[in-house]
Amino acid sequence: MTTPNDTLLAISTPPFWHCGRTVQKNSLHTLLALAPAALLALLQWGIPAMRVMALAVLACLATEALCQTLMKRKLSQSDGTAAVTGLVLAFLLPASAPWQLVLLASVCALGIGRMAFGGYGSNQVNAALVGWALVFVSFPTFMDASSSLLQTSLPDPLFQIKYFGSAAAENFSLLDLLLGKHLGGLGATQSGALLLGGLYLAARGVIRWEIPFSFLLGVVLASTALHLADSALYAGPGVHLAGGSTVLAAFFLATEDSCCPHRRIPMLLYGLLGGALTVLFRAFGMYSDGAPFAVMLINLLAPQFTLVRTPPFGSRHGKKARSWRKKAAPGALKEGGQV
Amino acid sequence: MKPYMTMIRDPRFRLLHNEERPLGAGPNPKRVRLNREGFTILPGIKKKSLVSPGTRLAVHPSPEKGDLHAPIYGTITEINARSIFVDAVDPAAMEPGAFPEVPAPVDLLKEGKESDELAAAVKAMGVNTRSLGRRTKTLFVNALNPEPGVCWAEPMLTQHAEVIQTGLELLRRLKRAEEIILAVPKGSAARFPGMEMAYVEPMYPNSVNELLIREVTGEEAPPNVAAVGLHNVWSLGRAGVTGLPLTETVITMGTAAHWANLIVKNGSLVGELLDFAKISLKRGDTLLRGGPLRGESLDRLDRSITKGAYGFFVVNAGEVPPIEGDSPCINCGACIQACPMRIDPRMLSRYAEFGKYNMSRPENYRLCVDCGLCGYVCIARRPVLQYIRLAIKKLEEEERLAKLTPIEPVNKPQS
Repeated sequence: MTTPNDTLLAISTPPFWHCGRTVQKNSLHTLLALAPAALLALLQWGIPAMRVMALAVLACLATEALCQTLMKRKLSQSDGTAAVTGLVLAFLLPASAPWQLVLLASVCALGIGRMAFGGYGSNQVNAALVGWALVFVSFPTFMDASSSLLQTSLPDPLFQIKYFGSAAAENFSLLDLLLGKHLGGLGATQSGALLLGGLYLAARGVIRWEIPFSFLLGVVLASTALHLADSALYAGPGVHLAGGSTVLAAFFLATEDSCCPHRRIPMLLYGLLGGALTVLFRAFGMYSDGAPFAVMLINLLAPQFTLVRTPPFGSRHGKKARSWRKKAAPGALKEGGQV
Repeated sequence: MKPYMTMIRDPRFRLLHNEERPLGAGPNPKRVRLNREGFTILPGIKKKSLVSPGTRLAVHPSPEKGDLHAPIYGTITEINARSIFVDAVDPAAMEPGAFPEVPAPVDLLKEGKESDELAAAVKAMGVNTRSLGRRTKTLFVNALNPEPGVCWAEPMLTQHAEVIQTGLELLRRLKRAEEIILAVPKGSAARFPGMEMAYVEPMYPNSVNELLIREVTGEEAPPNVAAVGLHNVWSLGRAGVTGLPLTETVITMGTAAHWANLIVKNGSLVGELLDFAKISLKRGDTLLRGGPLRGESLDRLDRSITKGAYGFFVVNAGEVPPIEGDSPCINCGACIQACPMRIDPRMLSRYAEFGKYNMSRPENYRLCVDCGLCGYVCIARRPVLQYIRLAIKKLEEEERLAKLTPIEPVNKPQS
């Protein structure tokens, strides 16, 4: 025999073919999708932004490794999920964030946000947002980009529309907002680059298009409704879509797999609610950007959305069994021709 | 935009291969290993018996399971609880009359038997009739390749039209359905006179019977409709055309780079097939019998191709991401989206993982059609399908035990 009988064969279970996707590859695609925004953030903020991003990523990796060592688990830093969480977290922080703040946020994100629940895929709320929320609520002065980044002249569109009404929105061109020429988290403001990256992820099937689509739709619907109700007080959808961290929330935060529903209708409802809540928080909440809080809230509501169940196969029968021949697509049935 | 925005973008899932090469003849086996589990060995069949092609070796008590016949001239070298081994012997080297006589051909079509009588005759020819459908109103013949990677359906429909035609005629005479409809891939040029045809988009998992029925009827699980595979119809037709007991099966044999369709003898050893195809294995390769999504992996080269197997594949080490230990579910939901039955493989696999089989009950675990898509898309590389199979097996076992009446003591104590 050409193959000796003692060749060690691998035994496994079906299916023996695989789509090739792994957690690691998905993380790499996500990092790739975040890369344009990271580069633009570097161009805009320079070394301080680099410092925050590097520190957040490293601190997340280290926290995960530490927790896994303490929990006597296999280290899984190579799958890249902690790096993604770190980078997304850094995107939400201002470039001026002091190192203690970045460190605290990262440790909390991975420690409380993820590992306390059992590791990647077990957390109910997006881990990066847990870290962000903790420092955002505890240290508002450091987190406020407009007060901590004194050397810039960039405007904060959400702050302006909140306190100066809808007219302030006219000061911003959509292009400037998309190019990230406004204040906020160091990478979250790069709406255009994030949109490109997000579309890439959706096209690759790494994230499901239903969530970002319905999230953005929710933003548009809610802001349009408010704008129509009182156009002097509430700005239209443009500034809500491109300003603040809407795009980051829609494509990278709300789509974290373990925190969202997985069937189409629940996903659409989940996204719609997230988008609508974003606008409501911005209009009536105490903070100018409500997108991260909206995502945390819909994360927590995800199990409720999952209750919208799709009937399983074969359970959609009509009351009486109709003849399927009448319903079969025309041309689906034909008499075989002569040979 | 169809191929984008989705998780499954595998061109191999298209079940049409424009395969025009004829079904080739497999190797002449030097040794065969026949599965005898559940069979009763006939009297006179023992170690060192000489057998001819078509010699009946064993029968199964079930009326739906075909008898077991020797596929080659040879000597029985071993009979154990699971297998019968036959070593090939050249009939020219032996004196005439040493071998039992080859059975005379039986023309099933001319004999004109019908219904149960025909079923018994077909069983005697070694064909399993169980897979030829239960009594129902409409019976579809599923002429799609059953799985990605398998590609014998097209050559079978075109080059073996006579065999299929005979198989369909015999199927009709079995009287298990009022009407028989042949479901072929969209765009197929196959024609069978007097046969009603249905056209189905040839994309996996549409070749799974339940989904094929939905594709044709537009209804999920309609009553009084069933489907049988083309492979079974071919087996029936083969017995009808040759008039001899069925001792062959059609398989697609292949690696990622090369494949071919072969008619191989029942019981051919996989090692001999690999030699025949000049495939050499390396450490860590996986051998699988059946299809790449629903088959089973083999541990040794002296396992054999059993009756009804439709594929034999080699998956080289490194072709797919390895399964590493017991990786936990990461709740990504890919299996939920991929499942054509709209059940929740994520939770089912977790229940089985932790032995909570009863919790599978409200999750409609019985709907699983074993298509394997859940494991195919699992980014954590969990054996999702295997977990579901385990749960089904455990629950069926439990239900079977629950039906048994407990044994009462024979001598009840007098009171």
